[in-house]
Parts: sequence; structure tokens; C-alpha cells
Amino acid sequence: MVISGDHAVAHAAKLARTEVVPSFPITPQTLIVEQLAEFINDGELDADFIPADSEHSVMSMAIGASAGGVRVFTATASQGLALMHEMLYAVPQNRLPIVMANVNRSLGAASGIWVEYNDSMAERDSGWLQVYVEDNQEALDATLMAFRMAEDRRVLLPVMVCLDGFILSHTVERVEVPEQQEVDLFLPPFVPFNMLDPYEPKLINPIVGPEYAMEMRYQLDRAVDHSREVINEVDEEFSKLFGRRYGGLLDTYRMEDAEFAMLTLGTATGLAREVVDDLREEGKRAGLIKLRFMRPFPFKELCEVCDSLKALGVFDRSASFNGGGPVYTEVAAALCNVPTVVTGHVAGIGGRDITTEHMRGMYDAVERASRGEEVRSVTWHGLRGDME
Amino acid sequence: MFEVRFHGRGGQGAVMAAQTLAEAAVIEGRHAQAFPYFGAERRGAPVMAFARIADRKISIKSQVYEPDLLVVLDESLLDIEPVARGLKPGGKAVINTRKLPTEIDLGMEVECATVPATSIAMEYLKAPIVNTAILGAVAMVCDLFSMGSMQQAIENRFGGKFGEAAARANAAAAAAAYSQTLRGRCKGNRPFVPRRVWLPDWRDIPIGNTLGEGVKDGVTVGPGGAKQNLTGSWRVQTPRYDKEKCVRCLRCWFSCPEGCIKREEDEYVRWDLNYCKGCGICAQVCPVKAIDMMKGGSR
Repeated sequence: MVISGDHAVAHAAKLARTEVVPSFPITPQTLIVEQLAEFINDGELDADFIPADSEHSVMSMAIGASAGGVRVFTATASQGLALMHEMLYAVPQNRLPIVMANVNRSLGAASGIWVEYNDSMAERDSGWLQVYVEDNQEALDATLMAFRMAEDRRVLLPVMVCLDGFILSHTVERVEVPEQQEVDLFLPPFVPFNMLDPYEPKLINPIVGPEYAMEMRYQLDRAVDHSREVINEVDEEFSKLFGRRYGGLLDTYRMEDAEFAMLTLGTATGLAREVVDDLREEGKRAGLIKLRFMRPFPFKELCEVCDSLKALGVFDRSASFNGGGPVYTEVAAALCNVPTVVTGHVAGIGGRDITTEHMRGMYDAVERASRGEEVRSVTWHGLRGDME
Repeated sequence: MFEVRFHGRGGQGAVMAAQTLAEAAVIEGRHAQAFPYFGAERRGAPVMAFARIADRKISIKSQVYEPDLLVVLDESLLDIEPVARGLKPGGKAVINTRKLPTEIDLGMEVECATVPATSIAMEYLKAPIVNTAILGAVAMVCDLFSMGSMQQAIENRFGGKFGEAAARANAAAAAAAYSQTLRGRCKGNRPFVPRRVWLPDWRDIPIGNTLGEGVKDGVTVGPGGAKQNLTGSWRVQTPRYDKEKCVRCLRCWFSCPEGCIKREEDEYVRWDLNYCKGCGICAQVCPVKAIDMMKGGSR
């Protein structure tokens, strides 16, 4: 099929036999819930579509439906995600395996409808697992895998599938849409864990005092960490059934003997692949690390990959203000005991197009760092005017 | 460093008492702090408040575990929790009670002062808010501040909030308590029985912020777990029911926030006084005045 990233996600939610879709439209996500509404209307998907009065209500409904024992999917973006903020935090601690697509769009003032990761990055401490995808095929596959990971008894956590607004959401590409029978083999029917059941009364979401909250938070911390194992297993199983493998938490490209590399996420990864190929042709030992999951963050896996790397540049499509971007600070923390020089590279803010020249500029800076030259800790690429 | 722990019930003014004590110390030229700790913000629920006094700036912000002075604003708390836990061997206690110090059993024999703060508060303030009265007794046993500083602190804190008349009435209650305070030593026979609490390891906490019915470490948890919290001990007034007047409209049954009014088969009602907090809503909603509230928490 030749479909957009949004439609690829909608197909995945349909193939997952989603049972409830609470929704509120917001560009560039609307195509997802519109497509799902159509599937339901045409009898292709047996689900309840609930139009809500806000995203806050969307997530509240999602929580109720998931606790009620059904598979829930929804989608949002930007201000919509921000409006959900309060309810987002209730989901991981309640261990409800809701899957949501967030079509990345810049948040706040000085913003538009175009891609920036400052919406989902702001939610990285909510306890949701977060995967960032590179193309429409991965958008579909990651959404399918998200249900399996989320519902695994060792995980029981919500998953946010993040895809670039417009660059994926509104771009059509060739996408292999799996058959329903194949997906049914991969994703068994939903079996709720803590179901609301009048015959088995439970105390849900009581006020939690200082004598319990810390243990509960640590339990959640461990659950997010243990999901690493399940993510890798699901990736493996998916590849056996569907022939496509994504590498779990992170993927690497031409890293075998690399001396310098970029770490990217989202669609910038595809661009970086091209630049790495060019550099390799020039005889330069360039590589690429594709970060897939921001949560759980691959602290250990990164150290292993960067073991013999001289310099690593970290791409960010959002800023953390006076500290580079959020991915940069996390990677720098992960590699604090590894001799690799780590630099930050901010680009594509507010949906500004990232060109081959921008990406080449990032690689050039990292190569200089790998030769021991002094390089700025954080560089904004494509910025008009010299950096301070 | 001189550390104080107040035990009271929501509505008695333990927090205000701690703050006022801190202010009295500051009036004396010292450094001081005061802060509360409470769970549910409800009248009648047990609360604690803390104060620290020192001659230099106080940096520590932790709770007080080994107080030099223990202040108990509600005598009934002695029977439901070991209020004297951690009290320093040379420490002092001030208790709101009509009893003599020698009749009080704190589980450790210490210098103890008693004062009938509730009746003093009723006389001067027309309400059982005992915080200012008990501060008079605190000033009597504690040499870190004079009664003059304590009264000044009361006037500062209460005058601004409730007006001059209230400030004067509260200062007068403190003065009356100062003169009615009895000093002696209390008994130390009561065994320290820590409250049973379920404190599981992080691995043993049920997953998903969800708790089913059950008993953990001897404590009933989950739905129905509140049964063991006998909120009837919070009561300072008790409903009296005149069955003759009752028209069986069941408004009281419907309105009771604790659900402690029970329907009988004949549609008359009865109260489960183990849980009745004495809020008086039933008496208010009764259209035929078949219910009135009597002073006191006894049955």
C-alpha cells in the first residue's frame, strides 16, 4: 500500500483489534483518528469511537476503558499531549497498557503545526515508554509491537509511539500492511491485569502517603527498566514473523569500525544514513546510532556501542534551554564513564527542514572532535547569525 | 536545640499552637520554626505539629522524633497511640486533662503538667479550640519564654487573623491556664505499643496502585480497610435520637457522611457510634427535630 504515516498507524491500531478509541482531533494527528472512525463505520473494526471534549478527557476515558478490561488506542500531538499531561502520569502507576501515537508537533508559543520533539520530550518522566520512528513502515510496525510490549505481564506500561508531524504523518510511502491472521498470531487478545470488577472490589488510586509512595515509584522505575528485555524479545519475534527487525532500543548503521558517529532519532536518521554512506565513500570511518526508545533509555546498550568510538554527536529536535537538548544531556550522562567525546547538535526546530548540508555539518564537527580538535559542546545547525 | 511535638486532633489548633510557640521564642530573641504533619485534612483526625527553638539559625527541616517537650491537646489520643514515643528521659509533657499529673500514664515517668484546657477554652472562647489555653501551661513549665512573650505571640498571631477581641480572649485563656496548671510527675506503666502498620518492601506492593481486600501484617487493607479506624473516638458531641418523634423519612440515613446511620427493618434508624464523628448533620437535616446533639463523646 502507498499510505501516509498517520494511516500506517491507523492500520496498525485496526490490526491490533483495538476495542476503544477515545479521540480529539489535532493536526497533524487527525488523519489517524479519522481513518479509525472510517474503519469502524465501514465495519472493518469492531470498536467504540468516543469523541471527547478535550484531550484531558481522552486520556481519562482511555484510563477508564483500559481499567474496564479492553484494548485502548488513541492519538494526539503537541498542545493535545500537554493537555493530557496530568492524566498521562496516572497511567504508568496504574500499569494500564494503553498505546498512543503522538505525532510530534512543536509546543508552546513561537510554535506552529510542524515537527519538534518538545511535546513528547516534556513527558519523558511520566513513566510512558517512548519509541521514535524513522519511516511509515516503522510507524506501523512500532505501533503493533507497542501493544505486545505494553501488555506483557513483565511490563504493563503504556507506550507512546512518536512520529514526525508532516514528515511522516502526511507523507505517503510504500508500506507493507500485514495480514490480519499474521497479526493475530503475533498479538493475542487483550487480557486485563487489574480489571474493574464489581464482584471483586478493589481500592484503586487511593491517596498514597509518604510511607508507600517511594516503594511504588521504585517499583515503577524497575518496571520501566525491565521493559528493555521485553522490547528486545518482541523485536526478535516480530522479525521472525514479519521479516523486519528494528534492533530493539537502538539500531546501528555502519558502526563496525567507526571512529565517529551521530546518534539520531526520528526521520533525521534516514538522512544520516545517506550522509554516512557519502562519508564512507570518502574513506572516512563514520557510523550512525539510531535511538529508538527514549524510555526506557538504553544507558547500558549505548556504552557497549560506543566502546571504541572517539566522538559521538547527538542530534536533538528540541532544546532544553541553556543545556543543549534532552537527548544530548541523557546520552552525555550515559557515556560519562566512557572516553568518547560527546557533543550536542540541535536542528530542525519548529519543523525547519533538515538538509543534507546540515547533517554533513554535524558529522564534520564530530569528525573534528574525534581528531582531538576543540568543538562546541552544543551547536545549533541552520541558525541565522553566529552562536554566542 | 529545644524540640517540641504537639499531638492533637484536626480543629483543636495544634498547628497554630506550634506556630505561636515559635513566635514567642522569636520575641525572646531566639530562632524558631514550626510546621505541621497531617494526613487527611479533617476535623477530629489525629494531627501532629512540631517546633524547634535554638540560639542560632535552624537548618534542619526533618520531623521531631526525640522531643524535649510533648504537648497533648486531646487526652483521648493517649489511648490510641504512643504519644510519648521518643520523649527524652529528662523531657517534659503538658496534657489537656482534668486529671492530676499523677493520674496520667504516658508510658514513661517524666515531669508532667496538666491543665483543663477544654473547659477554659469553652469559658473564654465558647469553642473547644484548646491551643491558646494549653500554651499558658506550656509557658508555665518551659523557661525558654516568659508568659508575657507568649501572650504577645498569641495577640500577634490571632489579632491579625481574627481581630483584636479574639486576640484578647485567647490571651486571657492562656493566662487562665497558666494559673490553673498543675505540676508533678506522671506514671510510666503503660506499655509502648506501636500502631500496627503494613510497610511492605517495594517488591511486595501490589502492582498498579490497586489494593484488593485482604489482611497484611495483621492490618486489614483495601476496600473495608477503614473499618479498623474507629472514627467514633473523634467525637465531641453525640446524637440523641427520639424515636417517638421520628417520621422515618431517612434523611439522616441519606445524609450521614460516614454511613454510620443504619436502617432497621421497620425503617427507624440507629447509630454505629464506633464510627460516628459527631458532625451533627443528621440533627440538622431532621425535619421533626427527632435528633439533637449532646455534649461529650461518650455513648
